[in-house]
Amino acid sequence: MKRVPIHLAMLAWGVVTALPLLWAIVSSFKTDNDILNDPWSLPTEPRWGNWSRAWSQANIGRYFFNSLIVVGGGLLLTMLLGSMVAYALARYEFRGNRLIYYVFVAAMFFPVFLALVPLFFVVEQLGLLGTYQGLILVYAAYAVPFTVFFLHAFFKTLPSEVAEAAFLDGCSHGTVFFRVMLPMARPGLVAVGIFNFLGLWNQYLLPLVLNPDPDRYVLAQGLAALSVSQGYRSDWSGLFAGLTIAMLPVLIAYVVFQRHIRAGMTAGAVK
Amino acid sequence: MNPSPFAQPYPTRRTVLRAAVAAGATLPLLSACVTGGKDDKPASAAGAKSATNPLGVKEDAALEVVIFKGGYGDDYAKKAEGLYTQKYPKATIDHKGIQKVGEALQPRFVANTPPDVVDNTGAGRLDLAALVGAKQLSSLSELLDAPSFDDPAVKFKDTLLPGVVEDGTFDGAPLVLNFTYTAWGIWYSKPLFASKGWTYPKTWDEMIALCATIKAAGIAPWTYQGKYPEYMNDPLLSMAAKTGGADLIKAVDNLQPNAWKADGLKAAAEAFAELAAKGYIMTGSEALSHTEAQAAWCQGKAAFIPSGSWLEAEQKDVAPKGFDMVMGAVPARTGSDKFGAAAIQAASSESFIVPSKAKNIAGGLEYLRILFSKQSARSFAESAGTLPAIAGATDGLTLSSGLGSTRDAVNAAGKEAFTYRFRTWYAPLAKAVDDATGELINKRATPAEWADRIQKAADALAKDSSVKKYTR
Amino acid sequence: MKHGRLRFLIGALLPALVLHVVFVLSPYGQAFYLSLTDWTGVAGEAHFVGAGNYARLGGDSLFLDAVRNNAVMLICVPLVTIALGLFLASMLHLGGRSGRSSIRGAGAYQIVYFFPQLLSLVIVAVLWQFVYNPTNGLLNGALRAVGLDGLARSWLAEPKLALPAIMAVLVWSSVGFYMVLFSAAIDGIPKELFEAALLDGAGSWATFRRVTLPLVRDTVQVSFVYLGITALDGFAVVQIMTVGPGGPDGATEVIGLSLYRAAFFYGKFGYASAMGVTLFFATLTFAVLALRSGRKERLELS
Repeated sequence: MKRVPIHLAMLAWGVVTALPLLWAIVSSFKTDNDILNDPWSLPTEPRWGNWSRAWSQANIGRYFFNSLIVVGGGLLLTMLLGSMVAYALARYEFRGNRLIYYVFVAAMFFPVFLALVPLFFVVEQLGLLGTYQGLILVYAAYAVPFTVFFLHAFFKTLPSEVAEAAFLDGCSHGTVFFRVMLPMARPGLVAVGIFNFLGLWNQYLLPLVLNPDPDRYVLAQGLAALSVSQGYRSDWSGLFAGLTIAMLPVLIAYVVFQRHIRAGMTAGAVK
Repeated sequence: MNPSPFAQPYPTRRTVLRAAVAAGATLPLLSACVTGGKDDKPASAAGAKSATNPLGVKEDAALEVVIFKGGYGDDYAKKAEGLYTQKYPKATIDHKGIQKVGEALQPRFVANTPPDVVDNTGAGRLDLAALVGAKQLSSLSELLDAPSFDDPAVKFKDTLLPGVVEDGTFDGAPLVLNFTYTAWGIWYSKPLFASKGWTYPKTWDEMIALCATIKAAGIAPWTYQGKYPEYMNDPLLSMAAKTGGADLIKAVDNLQPNAWKADGLKAAAEAFAELAAKGYIMTGSEALSHTEAQAAWCQGKAAFIPSGSWLEAEQKDVAPKGFDMVMGAVPARTGSDKFGAAAIQAASSESFIVPSKAKNIAGGLEYLRILFSKQSARSFAESAGTLPAIAGATDGLTLSSGLGSTRDAVNAAGKEAFTYRFRTWYAPLAKAVDDATGELINKRATPAEWADRIQKAADALAKDSSVKKYTR
Repeated sequence: MKHGRLRFLIGALLPALVLHVVFVLSPYGQAFYLSLTDWTGVAGEAHFVGAGNYARLGGDSLFLDAVRNNAVMLICVPLVTIALGLFLASMLHLGGRSGRSSIRGAGAYQIVYFFPQLLSLVIVAVLWQFVYNPTNGLLNGALRAVGLDGLARSWLAEPKLALPAIMAVLVWSSVGFYMVLFSAAIDGIPKELFEAALLDGAGSWATFRRVTLPLVRDTVQVSFVYLGITALDGFAVVQIMTVGPGGPDGATEVIGLSLYRAAFFYGKFGYASAMGVTLFFATLTFAVLALRSGRKERLELS
């Protein structure tokens, strides 16, 4: 059988990928002692207490909620602003069009680290340090360039007949955009939306610097703090439960929508 | 489990540093606000001074107390308030237990209406340096020289543990009073040692001999929080300080040339290199986080671990019943050490301040005099499981084994409690020392190389004109 | 209509432009200025020091460690990830009959391989920290279980192993994504080309080299740039996982970590900005080189 080695190779990488994830999930049901003494053992009985402890006492629930607010707000704002800019630049001719496009797109290639220090002070001087609004605005500001880049190309490819017909019917520019063009761009919006969602949901550096208030930690920040800080007293099972709580929703959503998500993300990368 | 997500119930090097950084980072805004207020000073309430009222408290003046409500709660502060109203029944007290001290009080400092006493602690605290710079803090010298609440014959400052006054002194002025006390040492399980017939070593030679016995018994003599080599610095630098005395510490903190090549430091580095060379450190320690190393120690996989006095609280849920951890002073390296064998490294934290623009400064100072009384400090020790910064406050109390051993160590040390300042003054130097010590105890640097590389870092720092220098 | 057009354009562009200028452009601009000052965070206390910060960078051994480590990562992470990704993607197709159709279970493999891409690097780092734990970690546990006790190590605490261990995590977390990406690119290759190669009697390797590789070249090149930028960062993984962090003794220090420490622990904001500017030029140089070198080669080929 010629294909056995191929299957073996594929399987091997599958195990390497899945095993640490499975291990975390299994460990979230074990006691601290089991985890410390026998990393490979199975839980003697499922200990849901680890999960409830992680959710409430270790504040994973709060972090989850914070992430939802910040990422939800940031994503909405990004999509709204990004699609408007992309559409205006793709479908209207005016002086400075290219300049504005490049001003946005160039920012994609700058490392965030370069902006980090001044950004901290900008956010602070606006009184937005450690607030939801501050993070939402910054998230949007840093996600808009790619959104513009991606949707600009997308709007260019859309046929113009429908829009022209709408204009002849007396629709305003805004109506044409929101009622006609935006619905037509739906596949592109979904793709870039998924891409942005994952990017923002997994963001760590920006909240680490701009969101110092433990009450408003987002999930990634909260988990890092749990694993690094003293505050969480040697509760490995709780930490694994926290990891699992943070991983599972995304993984499950992915398995359900996997085709869309993969298509969206890979399209985002090659465009 | 941690009862409050907001607070670290125990000060540690890292959390203190992190909080200091967080506070330092918000400095521009704060200082702008703090200095932005008007300068006219509202008259503070005052009454006649007397033997029973040495600070001149106006009996019916209202008092506002703001307490950081973290891991220690704020009941201890309320108890002291009870004592205050017992003495001044006409006074009304407005108590606030909050978490975000900075957020709540910054606008009040700007508006020149600060409270009368503030427990400025926690991650969201006000930046002390900014407050000091803006002259927002009352001098505490009057309080320090006043008779203590318990015994009029003893001055208030003489009831404090060594170093507490110095910890709160800025450019010669006492402005801050720290309420809790942290000591550093080497920890072990008392019952384990008793059952094996081991006694805690007084000298390093005894330590090395004991380590051989422990290793032969199938237990690793030492482990440490390898991910953060700074934990191993504490016993190493303590040992050096004991050998070289106050002069060695000063030379190090003041960045003097060749300070790190002093005999005391060299001998201490050699001592810990020996520990590593003889295989007395648990294999794998170097990659363990503090929680992992401490858990291994609690499981009896290693006999000794270095840490500060917060360890017992940190291990509350991990240590098995009857583990009864105790802290010992770092053993003496030589027979001719400048400090006695009982000397320890210790520092105070949990900062109380009396704002200079407060309406009732005398009341604020009087409140501190009461808070730092024996009665108040004892009830704090019992409920918080942490040593207050008051000498003899917990004498005669039945404490948990770890806290009791910390108290005994502090008492035994007496005046010989010391602390290095370079860690908070020069964070980059602290990093260089941590890295070097990590290399030393993993046998990748010799004691001489250890001293060389730290000295190089210290020299570079001393030459760096962009770094503000401090001296002690 | 003309009036409505202008109003619409302003409404569409202005909010995003304001946001962009305030939070993106102005910080980038300020960073260049700050890097020439000794600013410590106190308003109005920034002094112009010219290239002083940059001169100091050259003598900062920890920063030089960071540059060296980032350079190693810049080479290794993209190469290994792309090699693995290409290998798996072509395996996925090679298994099929015509060199195009997928092997059985390809869908399941694609799902599983993609998992790490969905997780925050923070989660990945916390997880792998446990995998590498010397006493009760998954990796040493596995080695001991199969009798290879001698290979068990303190993965993150040995200077020679720490950086490779970190790079392995970065590779692990990205292979799936690039595998899917390459797989899509291979899907886009006209079927006839594979059939022609098959008719010529080309083996799998020859088909890969003569048909697949040249035609997914653009994708590989873009991937190289993306991966390189990831490797120039590495902050989250290093900060969470390593001894120190950045250790042992600078063995895993990266520029991002040095910058973060200088700014937010030491309060040396000017100095930190100089590191940011250095990182910016490193990224720019790398991207330009990677994109241009490919173009040149392609010209030579044609």
